[in-house]
Amino acid sequence: MKKIIVACGGAVATSTVAADAIKELCEKNGISAEVIQMRIIEIENNLDGIDLVVTTMKIVPNFDIPYVNGMPFLTGINKEETEKRILSYIKD
Amino acid sequence: MDFILQIVQYFVNLGPAVMLPIIIFIVSLILGQSFGKSIKSGISIGIGFVGIGLVIGLMLNNLAPAAKAMSQNFGISMSLIDIGWPGSSPMTWASRIALVAIPVAIIVNIIMLALRFTRVVNIDIWNIWHFAFTGAIVDIATGSYTLGIIAVAVHAAFAYKIGDWFAPVVENYFGLEGIAMPHGTTGWFAPISVFVDGIMDRIPVVRDIDINPKHLKNKFGILCDPAVMGGIMGVIIGILAGYDVQQILTLGIQMAAVIVLMPVVVKYIMGGLIPVSEVARTKLQKKFKNSKFYIGLDCALLLGDPVVVTASLLFIPLTILIAAIVPGNQILPFGDLPTIGFFIAMAVGVHKGNLFRTLITGSIVMFMAIWISNQMIGFHTILAANAGQLTNSAARVASLDQGGSPVTYIITQVLDMTNVAGFAAIGLFYLICVICTIVWSKKQYKMLNNK
Repeated sequence: MKKIIVACGGAVATSTVAADAIKELCEKNGISAEVIQMRIIEIENNLDGIDLVVTTMKIVPNFDIPYVNGMPFLTGINKEETEKRILSYIKD
Repeated sequence: MDFILQIVQYFVNLGPAVMLPIIIFIVSLILGQSFGKSIKSGISIGIGFVGIGLVIGLMLNNLAPAAKAMSQNFGISMSLIDIGWPGSSPMTWASRIALVAIPVAIIVNIIMLALRFTRVVNIDIWNIWHFAFTGAIVDIATGSYTLGIIAVAVHAAFAYKIGDWFAPVVENYFGLEGIAMPHGTTGWFAPISVFVDGIMDRIPVVRDIDINPKHLKNKFGILCDPAVMGGIMGVIIGILAGYDVQQILTLGIQMAAVIVLMPVVVKYIMGGLIPVSEVARTKLQKKFKNSKFYIGLDCALLLGDPVVVTASLLFIPLTILIAAIVPGNQILPFGDLPTIGFFIAMAVGVHKGNLFRTLITGSIVMFMAIWISNQMIGFHTILAANAGQLTNSAARVASLDQGGSPVTYIITQVLDMTNVAGFAAIGLFYLICVICTIVWSKKQYKMLNNK
């Protein structure tokens, strides 16, 4: 079971779009994953046991866990590359 | 018009938790989503409405009496709790305007693009609720569905222009190239920051003050957690309300629960809108994928910037202080506090990360938002009642976002004229800010092109 944080400013709008896309991506590739949505300011306090962090805006990560910018899920530009990068981190 | 209105009214009478699932299911099928996905989206939006009803009920039944007791103890008037955007957006989606707001906003966008009035291709379907809120309030104030729709169109058109004006800031300061923020909250106050910036530049000594924090946020640590913040606020209000220990602790947990659960349940409403936004996005992108266009996205993308985060944290206590000094204020800021960054994000960019100026702009913005949302309590309560979210008939509701927006206020007052002095003051000030913005924005584009 992989644990993925998907975060945006308000934990409602943009992160839901990205989280939905990531859930579908995991299902398609047969990866069992838990997607946890939160606000960006909450990430730091919730990193225990997390395999990957995706945010819908650019941040400078101050943690060691793999990080992917999930903006392509909103704009549609470079979406496939982003999906590949995400898979590379959570595939066994 | 009457016939359409009757059909719409029948659906609205089903209540949002039933009406919207049916609508979303049908729309989703029409847009070419699979049967399974359509039904899931529909039910998801229904879950969101049931959920937000429970959370708002928890808030009105427990927190509101506490706020009232606190107000009586101290002779202050803040007895109404701000439900915030997580409370006001579902009410808006449940209004009879919301059904047509999405196509209206998209059509206005396409017309403006075709006429070259804007370069913003808005794919942020969720935040159309801000325009729909204006429409719903106008509909309630005037009783005219047509005027409500026109209000949606006017607000949408203004938001797209805001997107154009501030796109250089989004690119230069926030580093998001090709993206604009035609957003209902971040949008309306951004012109005020331009005005403040202009004034500041002309005052000696003051113009040289530049506080630019990059690492301040780590010092706040656990306090930025909404659960902890909600709990602390609940305990403080409980103490001020003169509760006993048991009641104080209960209120603390209830307040933490409200603030954490609100976005959780609203998320399901967003989930139901995904099929609509997906199709709108792909269609609009295909049509306008030229680099000359900006993609319009949610300004939540700005809320992770370190200065925005720091300013947001400072504005949690500041907003409560400001609420205490706004004349005649009845509203206790609450629901919007965890995402107060929506009110100041663009100001940080305009002020180039200068926290000092951001604090000044933000204080003006919050003062205005609180004052205006007081004027909106009546209409807002009707909106909540129409959405079936008032379990207690004596309850009244208010929100800073979107109830405190001058755009909504100005459009409503133009048609309704209940507070001429307030309308003139807010309208004039806002007009000056917008004119400053237009001039300033031209300069920003020139600088961008010279780079």
